[in-house]
This record gives sequence, structure tokens and C-alpha cells, in this order.
Amino acid sequence: MLSLLLSSFVTVFLAELGDKTQLAIVSISGTSQRPVAVFAGSATALVLASLVGAAAGGSLSTLIPTDALQLAASLGFLILGGRLILRSRSAAKASAAGGAPGSPEVDP
Amino acid sequence: MSSPLPHPSGSERPDPTAADGQHAASPSPDTSEPAAAAAPGATVSWLSVFLSTATTVFLAELGDKTQLAALLLSAESGRPVVVFLGASLALICSSLVGVVLGRWLSTVMAPEQLELAAGVLMVALGLWLGRQAVLHLAPLPAVAAAALGT
Repeated sequence: MLSLLLSSFVTVFLAELGDKTQLAIVSISGTSQRPVAVFAGSATALVLASLVGAAAGGSLSTLIPTDALQLAASLGFLILGGRLILRSRSAAKASAAGGAPGSPEVDP
Repeated sequence: MSSPLPHPSGSERPDPTAADGQHAASPSPDTSEPAAAAAPGATVSWLSVFLSTATTVFLAELGDKTQLAALLLSAESGRPVVVFLGASLALICSSLVGVVLGRWLSTVMAPEQLELAAGVLMVALGLWLGRQAVLHLAPLPAVAAAALGT
């Protein structure tokens, strides 16, 4: 029983390392000020997704339109990424014009 | 002896004409929340960060190889609860690794630099994920697929 627990842990952990989800988590937590919320959200979603997958058995794709959901997820990625790029551009502009007097400098 | 009341709004300079206080020439009385306007990313609520992360990860992860591995294991073993426990622990650990890695990156990189890199990464992930989903939904003919580089 312990070996089964360990083998499933190792299998899934190795499959997850460097996965797109982990890359997304790295980028979300690196650019957000709330790492605990990012951790709680990602852990909940991952456990929930595998629970749904396990409960549905092999027939998940017939129950849920996973491809359409992945398309929605890709749109979410595009929106999040585009927002981050825009934010970094505006931040770079603001710091380039930062020499002007009276500009609010916020150092957290 | 003027009243000491209005001084916490940041008017520290000795202004002799503003001794009467209330309607005097104070140019910027609305300096209550400067951080909210200057740094929009810093004041996002806990729940919205939680929900957006959970939604994105959940949608991206549905039907992914994690489930495949878990299903294979549970089919062979006949102990689905144990397999589910192991898989859940692994997923929690992997997301912890991701969060810690992101926090570490944010300490060694400039914020704009990191935001740009993360944005490019997420756009690339979105394009890749979308391409996979589209190819699954509407499989192209072999010629077009070869032209796309598959």
C-alpha cells in the first residue's frame, strides 16, 4: 500500500515537472504579490481536475468537451500573457520617464 | 496656536498662510491611497488571485497526462483511493515547487523583466494549447498538418 502510494506519487510528480501547468504557476506566482493564493488555487485545481478524471474513468472525453475547455484555457493564457506584456511595457515606460519630478515612487 | 488636527494628511511644511486650517491652500488633499493607483498588481484581492489561478489551471489540466497516469495506475492496482492520494500529494508538491520557483525568480529579476518573460511564456503556452485543442477538434488534412510542422 505504501509502495503504491509512493509509485503513484513519483509517477505523477515526475510527469508534472516542467509541465505547462507548472510553467504557468511559476509565471503567475512570480508576477503576483499573493503566493499563498496562487498555491491554494493551483493545488485545488490540480486535485479537483484529477478527481474529475479519476471519477469519470476512461470516458472523460465523452462526458466533458475537454478540447473545448482546453481552447478556453488557451484563451485565458493568451489574455493573462498579453496583460502581463502590456503591464511590463507600461512599467518600462514609467521607469524610463521616472526622472520627472513629482512622479509617485512606490517601493513595497 | 493653530489646530493640530489636519496635519496627518502629509502637510508637514510650515506654511504661515495656512494657519487657519480647513479651507486653506492645500493643493492635494486626496492623498489617501496613492499605492492603489500606482501599483495595480499589488492590491488584487486574495480571492480573485485564487479563483483566476484555479480556473486557469483546472481548465488547462483537464484531460491531461496526469489523469492518464492516475487512471493507468488505478486500473492496475484496484486501490483507486491510494492512487488518488499519491497523485494529489504529487500535484500539491509540484504546484508548491512552481510557486517557490516563481517567488525566487521575482527576487533575482527586475519586475518588468519578469513580467515580460512571464507574459511571453504564457502567450506561447496559450498558442501551443490552443493549437493542440484546435487540431483535436477539427483535424486538418495531412498536407495542411505537414505545412504547420507536425
